[in-house]
Amino acid sequence: MKKSNVGRGLVAGLALVGTIAALPAQASACGGEWYPVMETDYRRRGIAMAEKQLEEGKMLDAAATVIRVMPHIKSLKAERSTLVARAQRVLAMATARNGGALPVDAQVPDYAQGTWLGRTADARAENLEWSIVALRGVAETKKSDTAGTTDLAEALATVDSHKAEARTILEKLAEKDLVASPEGYAALARLRQAAGDEKGQQLALKRCEAMSTTPSMCRTNANG
Amino acid sequence: MKHAASALTLLLALYAAACSSKEPSGAQPAAAATSAASAALAPASSVAAAEERPYVHGDAARGADLAKTYECSRCHQGTGLAAVPVELACFGCHVDIDAGKFKGPADKMVKWKQHVQHVMDVPSLDSAGSRFQERWLADFLQRPKDLRPHLAPTMPRLAMPEDDARDLAAYLARDAKPAPAVDLSRADAAHGRELIESKACGACHAMSGAAKLSLQPNAVGPRVAPAITLAPDLALTRERYEAPELVRWLMDPPAIKPGTLMPSFGLSRAEAMDIAAYLLTAELQPIERAVPERLPLLERPVTFDEVNDRVLSKTCRHCHGNPDIAGGDGGPGSTGGFGFPARHLDLSTYTGVASGWVGADGERHSIFNKTSDGTPRLVAALYARQAEEAGVIDPEIRGMPLGMPSLPSEDVQLVATWIAQGRRR
Repeated sequence: MKKSNVGRGLVAGLALVGTIAALPAQASACGGEWYPVMETDYRRRGIAMAEKQLEEGKMLDAAATVIRVMPHIKSLKAERSTLVARAQRVLAMATARNGGALPVDAQVPDYAQGTWLGRTADARAENLEWSIVALRGVAETKKSDTAGTTDLAEALATVDSHKAEARTILEKLAEKDLVASPEGYAALARLRQAAGDEKGQQLALKRCEAMSTTPSMCRTNANG
Repeated sequence: MKHAASALTLLLALYAAACSSKEPSGAQPAAAATSAASAALAPASSVAAAEERPYVHGDAARGADLAKTYECSRCHQGTGLAAVPVELACFGCHVDIDAGKFKGPADKMVKWKQHVQHVMDVPSLDSAGSRFQERWLADFLQRPKDLRPHLAPTMPRLAMPEDDARDLAAYLARDAKPAPAVDLSRADAAHGRELIESKACGACHAMSGAAKLSLQPNAVGPRVAPAITLAPDLALTRERYEAPELVRWLMDPPAIKPGTLMPSFGLSRAEAMDIAAYLLTAELQPIERAVPERLPLLERPVTFDEVNDRVLSKTCRHCHGNPDIAGGDGGPGSTGGFGFPARHLDLSTYTGVASGWVGADGERHSIFNKTSDGTPRLVAALYARQAEEAGVIDPEIRGMPLGMPSLPSEDVQLVATWIAQGRRR
């Protein structure tokens, strides 16, 4: 009796899993949103949440979400999946905007923390380098995407050896009014200031302050 | 006696003036019509056609390929093409949402169901060639106008050159069966109007510029509402039809287009001719459609969230989405469609909007770049749609939202203010 109940339960369970796996995910461009029939991939939800957190300026929350959802994110390649590209973008931006240090030990289990906490200068440098490499990879997956290019330039601007490249990218984007974020303009303001271009710095700060919901961010970032 | 002579002279002068008046620009064509004057009963379309250079028919075989290129089947049935996948079937999607068949979160479906009510019906192209003038089809494909006053969407203004329009028109007319010739010179247009009233055509149709058709709803049932929605403005009949095809259609619509919502009224040939005479020659008052005035910028702060909630997420995102979260298809304005190349304009996020669009040169361009009158391009496109609805087409900029009713001026004002204030996130 027991065996047949277990057997029935197993069959029912397998049938349920099979049904869930077989249900077609109905995607459409309607509303530009993705609605799987049953959300079996928790990562999609997680990354979408992380993107929202990043947008809201909750850098550490965004980073923690990505690391928990994809603990091995450092070893993944953006060109393999748009989900990985999205995740790497969020984590890279959070890292760059926090100077390479992500104190997320309260939110991320030990095994996944790696160098993310950025407790040493080397760890922070490694994190920033990873951010730049990741954002280059993300930008490669979507050529001519100025949002990706703005992000990359913002990250480049955090490392001395990459600042010249950052400024070249941002100046080109600014010329065409394609700097995709206030943070991008804040980075440009910093770079112009470092080059002694005060007028240019003020123009970039003005753009940042007009675009940002927290204008104080522009000058805080600008002053380092 | 003197007064009677003066009155007669005045009447004759007015009649002569009416017969020779030109069409007012941008308005419905006006033509003198009395049942007594045989010359006036010549269908305006035939007269106009004779004055134009001869129409050069297109290549129907090439038109078949073009029907796929321009993805006619995404909206229309009766194209002769295979049905498109559900992800590409715009109206099919809406019908499924309304019917509760679309699979998605329940709260979203409740919200979406309200939004799709006005975008569920679209005319079938079945037997288009047996009804409409091929020349008119070609012209309409290039310069679409609002044919159906009760239908919110209109034929979108696609990027279609003249030779494509001709070939596509030839394809749509491929199965045309010319109707027997008719002579409307002895038809009674006044009686035609009486028949239109007695058959309650006004229950579905409007006729812009004519004396208002009386509304006498004479039917109930599930086919009535879509029939009203899809009923074309009768004032445009003279552009679309030749007299023989019109008479044939009026006599037995389902025989020409099976499944049509236009019922058969059992009209005799004489009755159909009288109605045709009226439709083709009735005097139409010009309809002035003014372009709405531009509202001044708002004085309060506007953020992206507000613009997104009121405008971008409601309307724009359907065609300008992010392919990464929409199954690879960002819509015709993003990853391409309806014959448009991929322009990668993603209006679903702040950074997407700020990233602009990819031009024919392969380079990104900001949608905030100013046009020649200093208007940011995004705003100019919204104004251009308002102008299109008033019959004013800007060759430089395509009105948005494409094929949908223009945004209210208050929404355009909101977008313009947001941009002018620096595009706050």
